[in-house]
Amino acid sequence: MKIAVCLKRVPDTTTKIVVGAGGKSIDEAGVKFVPNPYDEYAVEAAIALKEKAGAGETVVVSLGGDAAQETIRTALAMGIDRGVLLKGDGSADGLEVARVLAAELNGGGYDLILFGKMAVDDYHHAVGVMVGEILGLPVLSSVSALRVEGGTVGGEREIEGGVEVLAAALPAVVTTDKGVNTPRLPSLKGIMAAKKKPLEVKPVSLGAGTMVVTGLSLPPERQAGRIVGEGPDAAAVLAQLLRTEAKVI
Amino acid sequence: MTRILPIKYQAKLPTDRLIRAEAPSAEAIEMDVLFVGAGPAGLAGAIELAKLAKADPTLGDLQIGVLEKAGSLGEHCLSGAVVNPRAFRELFPDVPVAELPFRQPVGGEAVYLLTEGGSFRIPTPPTMQNHGHHVASLCEMVRWMGGKAEELGVNIFAGFPADALLVDGDRVIGVLTTPSGLDREGNPGEGYAEPTDLTAKVTVLTEGTRGPLAQAWREWRGVGSPNPQIFALGVKEVWNVKKPLDRIIHTLGWPLPRDAFGGTFIYPMGASQIAVGLVVGLDAKDAGTDVHEMLQRLKLHPLVRPYLEGGELVEWGAKTIPEGGYYSLPDRFSGAGLIMAGDTLGTVEVASLKGIHYAMQSGMFAARAIAQALKSGDTGPESLNGYDAMLRGSYVASDLRRRRNMRLAFKHGFFLGGAESVLMTLTNGAFPGRQIRIEPDANEERTIRARTAFVPDNTLTFSKVDAVFKSGNATRDTIPTHLVVGRDVSAEVAEFYSHLCPAGVYERVGDELRVNPPNCVDCKATDVLGPRWTPREGGSGPKYRVM
Repeated sequence: MKIAVCLKRVPDTTTKIVVGAGGKSIDEAGVKFVPNPYDEYAVEAAIALKEKAGAGETVVVSLGGDAAQETIRTALAMGIDRGVLLKGDGSADGLEVARVLAAELNGGGYDLILFGKMAVDDYHHAVGVMVGEILGLPVLSSVSALRVEGGTVGGEREIEGGVEVLAAALPAVVTTDKGVNTPRLPSLKGIMAAKKKPLEVKPVSLGAGTMVVTGLSLPPERQAGRIVGEGPDAAAVLAQLLRTEAKVI
Repeated sequence: MTRILPIKYQAKLPTDRLIRAEAPSAEAIEMDVLFVGAGPAGLAGAIELAKLAKADPTLGDLQIGVLEKAGSLGEHCLSGAVVNPRAFRELFPDVPVAELPFRQPVGGEAVYLLTEGGSFRIPTPPTMQNHGHHVASLCEMVRWMGGKAEELGVNIFAGFPADALLVDGDRVIGVLTTPSGLDREGNPGEGYAEPTDLTAKVTVLTEGTRGPLAQAWREWRGVGSPNPQIFALGVKEVWNVKKPLDRIIHTLGWPLPRDAFGGTFIYPMGASQIAVGLVVGLDAKDAGTDVHEMLQRLKLHPLVRPYLEGGELVEWGAKTIPEGGYYSLPDRFSGAGLIMAGDTLGTVEVASLKGIHYAMQSGMFAARAIAQALKSGDTGPESLNGYDAMLRGSYVASDLRRRRNMRLAFKHGFFLGGAESVLMTLTNGAFPGRQIRIEPDANEERTIRARTAFVPDNTLTFSKVDAVFKSGNATRDTIPTHLVVGRDVSAEVAEFYSHLCPAGVYERVGDELRVNPPNCVDCKATDVLGPRWTPREGGSGPKYRVM
């Protein structure tokens, strides 16, 4: 079984973001970058599926600058077999990103192509699905459970008040959601082994795209909390304030 | 009870856990040289050794490893910091100063004596002149050095604390890492990962201040020192500010009581940030000494407040500093298979407030001594003695020796100590012609004094809980405790710990001590005076970015 995972390098979710000078991107100075957490589910799924099958190959593909090599090495340290860095600038237009990823994956003989359901830096939710469309493959998006049996991939998607059970014939594209697994931490042995695993760098250039980011702003600052009193008497005051001031009840 | 003798309530260091006479597992990772701790000492040592190996093919393809307990490099590093670039220049001769990881050169400097409402500028003591030095964030320096080390092929293992030394006879043969994913009771839980053994021909302990493995090793091998090591606790904040500060400022006096040794610092970190911090000796007589609270009070002082007003707290952190100096250096710096360097060894010179370049230099000496030993094929117990000789013959030891009694004189009080330190400067360290003898901090009696509670305003001043949040600490709540609390902790002692710990790990609830281990930011203050600190799951603790 041959599995590809597409992996994005994103700012750590606990990083305090500062909007950059142009107002359309973040200031990367001092920002810690990590593998996109949803992509880590995909990495874990790929490794676990190969372990279960007992044979096959797992490949991680990332689009980005040289710094993304570190992100790829993290996936290799977790247990992925080899990495490909599509070296180039990303694009706000997910379709352009999907096109270069699809071009790399096309003809690779992959049974399964895995993505996180979205990247935490742009919330697109789109690239994985678009790669499936470009390659003409079935797509199981946002799955929180994943099985491969014979030539079929099965998944479950959590929807409002229930679960959708999905299935498609391989080869297929799957995007992973929380709950699908618990990604393993790289072990010391894994980190040592990752240094020797192949990491191919291929320059790419993206099209201009048809969508641009025109502005980036931070959410309004949260107001400090207030203690309205103590004991049973405070309950009435609190209810009153929730009704008149916060307008939530 | 009105007095507390801290040592009476302190648990013993769990040496049995920290020193293991076990054969390494068959799965052990083999390194040639292993540095424990990716601070300035460990990384400078690893870089120097990698360079020596590249320049000298007879050393072969050395496998050099650096273990770091923080989740990523620099996250547990904290310093003022005004850096003397000497060791950087020696380690990176081809990198122009402008490309070194500093925030800015020291422009001007001023020293003030504070009273509660006022300030008096005093002449800058000769030891505290910083012309030619640079303001820097140690986190940033360490991340930069980590990149250089990786370029040279050094194996950096962030998120893997060393849990114990592996020993064979009297020889150190490596370490084992802490397990992760244990539940509160210490049993394997979800995501459990077992310890890994790493073996090395030489293990270099660069654990930083109050390193547990170095303490255990010295106890095990009976390595003493002329004086015990003594410590100070520093608490530091970085603020985004509206207008830049044009000089570095140090202050003495308020809010410290007269019988405590320490002071404060306010440093510019580029155009939009400043660092403000306060350091107090852990021999302070008042059992209610609370460094975090004193820093909060300092920020409201008329000298400091104008710089912070309208600004925003970016990050908060705390760390102890080994202040004993020359006479607190161990009798031996190395042993069979082991070297100690940096803060773990005690290479801090308090009178000039410097440690980083000494730490780096000691790491570089360690690398040179190791290279010599590996080349000669000598693996005997004396094979690393070259390190002791190199360090003792260097500016590191002579700088510490020249100021050997200066911190110790302040045991005699602020004014007498101040006068004595002037004489020491004039005589180049010869006065008073003998070693001032001191006691360990835990043997100094504390007095319970009346204190006024401090209420933070949540704009300029913050509680310990808010402060810990600003350290980036996101340790999981279900982690087993890593702190060893002594027996018979009374209400008064619980209160003492609650003030001592800057991170709110210890609380007095009624007459009981409540411990919140996930809050711990690894400052080691209570390891000096109370509950012991032991290594815990990798990636726990603070996540400093700009400390």
